Amino acid sequence: MAVDRVERLTNLLALLLETAEPLSLVQIAGELEGQYPDADQARRASFERDKAALRDIGVPIETEVVAGGPYAGQTRYWIDRRAYELDDLALEPDEMRALQVAVAAVHTGSGVGQDAIWKLGGALGEERPAVSASMPDRPELPLIRSAVATRSTIEFRYRGEPRRVDPWGLLLRGGFWYVIGHDHDRGEQRTFRVDRFDGGVAGIDIGEPGAYDRPVSFDPRSAFPADPKQIGHSAADGVEATIRIDAVRAAAVERELGADRVVAREPGGIVVRVPASNLPAFRSWVLGLLDHAVVLDPPEVRAHVIDWISSVAGPTTEGERS
Amino acid sequence: MSGPRNAEDRLRRLLVMLPWLMEVGEVPLADVARRYGLTEAQVQQDLELVAMCGLPPFVDEMIDVFVDDGVVFVGVPRLFTRPLRLTALEGFSLLAAGRAAMELPGADRVGALGRGLDKLAGALGEAGIDTGADDTAGVVIDLARPEVTDALVDAAASSSELRISYYTPARDELAERTIVPRHVFVESGNWYVLADDGRSGERRTFRVDRIESSSPTGSVVPAVDEVSTPPSFFVDAEVPRAVLRLRPEARWVVEQYPVDEVIERSDGSVDVRLPVSNERWLAKLLLRLGPTAEVVEPAGFDAAAELARRLLDRYART
Repeated sequence: MAVDRVERLTNLLALLLETAEPLSLVQIAGELEGQYPDADQARRASFERDKAALRDIGVPIETEVVAGGPYAGQTRYWIDRRAYELDDLALEPDEMRALQVAVAAVHTGSGVGQDAIWKLGGALGEERPAVSASMPDRPELPLIRSAVATRSTIEFRYRGEPRRVDPWGLLLRGGFWYVIGHDHDRGEQRTFRVDRFDGGVAGIDIGEPGAYDRPVSFDPRSAFPADPKQIGHSAADGVEATIRIDAVRAAAVERELGADRVVAREPGGIVVRVPASNLPAFRSWVLGLLDHAVVLDPPEVRAHVIDWISSVAGPTTEGERS
Repeated sequence: MSGPRNAEDRLRRLLVMLPWLMEVGEVPLADVARRYGLTEAQVQQDLELVAMCGLPPFVDEMIDVFVDDGVVFVGVPRLFTRPLRLTALEGFSLLAAGRAAMELPGADRVGALGRGLDKLAGALGEAGIDTGADDTAGVVIDLARPEVTDALVDAAASSSELRISYYTPARDELAERTIVPRHVFVESGNWYVLADDGRSGERRTFRVDRIESSSPTGSVVPAVDEVSTPPSFFVDAEVPRAVLRLRPEARWVVEQYPVDEVIERSDGSVDVRLPVSNERWLAKLLLRLGPTAEVVEPAGFDAAAELARRLLDRYART
């Protein structure tokens, strides 16, 4: 076709923005003379493609179906200018600059933030922040975010199973987005990694608003499942273990746990006491210190850790182990 | 941007470019190109194209823009005077970036960024992009950092040299070195400092949580070249891969680390392929996984067993 597609899209956009009343495809093709194919089917196919392209970049195309009269059943199209145009946020120059710096400092792996800055009339230029962060963009996030805000139950598939969840909050931690909420079918709080949803955005169904109440004082940070790094900070109800830490890791461990966890200081390192009720979390944490940490007490925890290590060491060929 | 551009990308760019051009009225073509990440030829081509757009009876007159002698001129603005509204993803992305920036060292929580985000949240709410009752409800960004991080950011901003005590796991030693921080960043929950290393004379990346102590030497060493922001670590296709077979108890690995592929097996276990930046990291992971995981690839990987035997030896002596 002779007409550049950008030209036809621009003309279509201009027509739907300017029109005083909704237009049918026949009327649109008439106005944009020679730009759409003459044959019905080919014209419809081209128009549907253009409509999808415009919606894809965020243009709100409205439709209505004529109710009665000679054109009953005909679909007509227009764009509501108020829904199309960005409101003026009246950003002060320093506010605009701060948003630009934020977008320059937070890498998302996509150009979405930059597009947003452009729309607001800014641009990413010379900002070279001394500090930056990476934060993945996920297309599921706005949807889940809106479900959190409106207290709507979401349905999705995760690890091949259907889930119904009241989303309480979104958390970015360790470079991944998580949604934390109440899982209906399991009857308890669960955490899901957003990039592991089966089927992406298309696989998420959002229910009616106001379907649940979020627990008062819910904080996604503390609701996160056993994080080995948090082990020393949790309430000490139940078993505590004593561990000897070599000098090379002593300062880091003391910083992590706090000085009140240190029960002895020796030339070769320190001895600390930490909760061990959550055995998997405890084990994971202590083994992360490699051969710079040795569990001294209690005997059953020490034996458990030794058994665990032995399973990795494979068949022993030398000596006896205590 | 390079390579062929599709119609949607070109139109998307035009719809942000036109309102801005109408605002400024007259601007060098080179500035437009730089601002929107395009070549001058691309900008000229697209502007000349939209100048021909229009509807009867205003064909050729709807978008009054022309390029002359390297300068873009805009006449009477009629159409596209306002940018297209933010999409839900753009709105979310901007708010999330703003909130993440608030968590970075040195953020001014009550200053311009906070005010800008408030205005943005208000506008998005009115536009039907719900932002919740308060500005953090429901979205929390956790960029918790080691205490020393702020001193590194200050040093990067002022090109100050630091003497640090740094733990190197590969050699398992704590050593003194001098560095000049250039950029501090957080990736996948870990903080790093990109710095000029006095020992090697090269620019290197250090893990902030392995810096045991730091103090300024008093020297200031301006950067001789431009500091480019470090590339993302985990998209690197060059990093070798390993395949682990995980029992159900070990599935958390899939949730916590970047993985290329997850293959479900009939017995409830999964095989995962994941990037392994170094052998020691994999050995440490396997130690934590114990009997709940085994290595499928690389065959003959024995660093974990060696580590375990060394550790058992420690237990035998303690």
